[in-house]
Amino acid sequence: MSDIKQAPEGLEVARTLDAKGLSCPMPLLRTKKEIGKINSGEILEVLGTDPGSRNDIPGWCARAGHEYLGEREDEGFIRFYVKKK
Amino acid sequence: MSESIMKDKIKDFFKVLCQTEWNATVAGIIVALLSILIMAWWRPWGAVGAIRNWGEWILYGIGIFDHKPGELLFNSGSVIGIGFLAGAFISACLGNDFSFKFPPPWEFVKAIIAGILMGIGSAFAGGCNVGGMYNAIGNLAANGFTMWLGLVIGIVLGLKYIYWEMEHITWGTTGGKNFDFPYGLKIIIGILSGIALIWGAYHYAGMSDDYAASLSGILLISAGLGYTMQRGRWCMVQAFREPHMTGDCTLAKSVALSILVLAIGCAVLKYAVPQRGSAVAVKSTVISALEDIDLDEIQDEDLADTLEDIQDAGQAAVKGAERVLDPVNYVRGTFGWGGVLGGFLFGLGAMFAGGCGSGTLWRVGEGQMKLWLVVPFFGISNAIMTKWFKAIHMEGTGPTHVGSKLGMHLYLPDALGYGGTILLIVLAMAAWYIIVDWNEDSNKLIVEM
Repeated sequence: MSDIKQAPEGLEVARTLDAKGLSCPMPLLRTKKEIGKINSGEILEVLGTDPGSRNDIPGWCARAGHEYLGEREDEGFIRFYVKKK
Repeated sequence: MSESIMKDKIKDFFKVLCQTEWNATVAGIIVALLSILIMAWWRPWGAVGAIRNWGEWILYGIGIFDHKPGELLFNSGSVIGIGFLAGAFISACLGNDFSFKFPPPWEFVKAIIAGILMGIGSAFAGGCNVGGMYNAIGNLAANGFTMWLGLVIGIVLGLKYIYWEMEHITWGTTGGKNFDFPYGLKIIIGILSGIALIWGAYHYAGMSDDYAASLSGILLISAGLGYTMQRGRWCMVQAFREPHMTGDCTLAKSVALSILVLAIGCAVLKYAVPQRGSAVAVKSTVISALEDIDLDEIQDEDLADTLEDIQDAGQAAVKGAERVLDPVNYVRGTFGWGGVLGGFLFGLGAMFAGGCGSGTLWRVGEGQMKLWLVVPFFGISNAIMTKWFKAIHMEGTGPTHVGSKLGMHLYLPDALGYGGTILLIVLAMAAWYIIVDWNEDSNKLIVEM
């Protein structure tokens, strides 16, 4: 995997998914389900702790056509940002 | 100027070695090479041997099992598990992946179900995804293919279950916690663990007992496997699941290639070592020379005794050298319904767990508490099943599993020759590769949410 993509600051988030503590494949499956609840162009924020998500979420975005905006480290978890196609 | 470039290059080197996720193909080939090496050293590796040994200790500790299980630090299966965990832990520390990850409560319930299913499944299949499938095909054993088939079915059904669960179960699905540590501390602990590992290997190597001394290599090669798998997040259940979940076939291709490399390496060892190894050399020179001597005709008693000892030692050496690479070993009597059912139950369990036998262990090494709970239940259920199966001769008797109720004991080269066996494995892995690759574009095999 290439270098980690940092998300820009101050993104306007339509929905937040708490996937903290969940392990593979749950964070990605929940993300897949949650994205169905927002509109095209809106942003989904995923809070996760599984190191595998760093690869899974951008990989899935590329496959499904959503835009992966990047991640931001927080205290003990990572925030991932996905813009729905 | 050049000094600062050097500094950057060293930093980059550390990053590549310890921080970035390794490419799946590279990880798969390293796993195959280490699997061949550990076999050449002594024996193929597996995850369930360790997990069962630990389960036996729990059952012995609470008074259910009467017999003391194999020593944790002197049972080769358990040492494989310890080395593997240590390698994964070191990788997770150096790469800043380690933290205590506590999932929401429902995940703990799934962990218990997962452990029980995986324990039962690996008893039917004669091993987990490693010993029953990966290393089984690698050891040219037919039972690896029946477990492979069962795994596909179990994992697809498990995926359907997870979709159902996401719609219907709301209790305990949020509220996970993560306890992290400063990265600097993790690097120090990682380095200290590496030093402890090397010290342990030297300690084994210095023991006078041959069995104990051989554990040195077992410990280090297993640690290499754990390190590689954690760094590459190389997960066999993902290889089976992803083509049906997202269509991604990266890991499936990598596992197919890895099995092929492993099988070729093992075929070389199994074919060539008995041909050219020391056993044959001893047999054709020392033993045949000694057999020509009639010990009764020798007047000197001491000399006669010495010659007799040499004869015995020679025969023991031949037996020892042939033991590990003997085709009879590591082929199980589960080529049949046992392998399919075992693979199915194991695959279903692995979907509940979020990791197979090896994937569970390396996730334990990165602090995933759900998988910490999977291991004892996996171990206990497998220990009980294995004991019961032994009592009723479920897998038959003797090294060739005569009368196994689970299926056939078939060493593929006995049926197809070495060439035919390798051809079969090439074709099977190529078919898997092409199908998942085709599915990545066509999405025909994806199970919709």
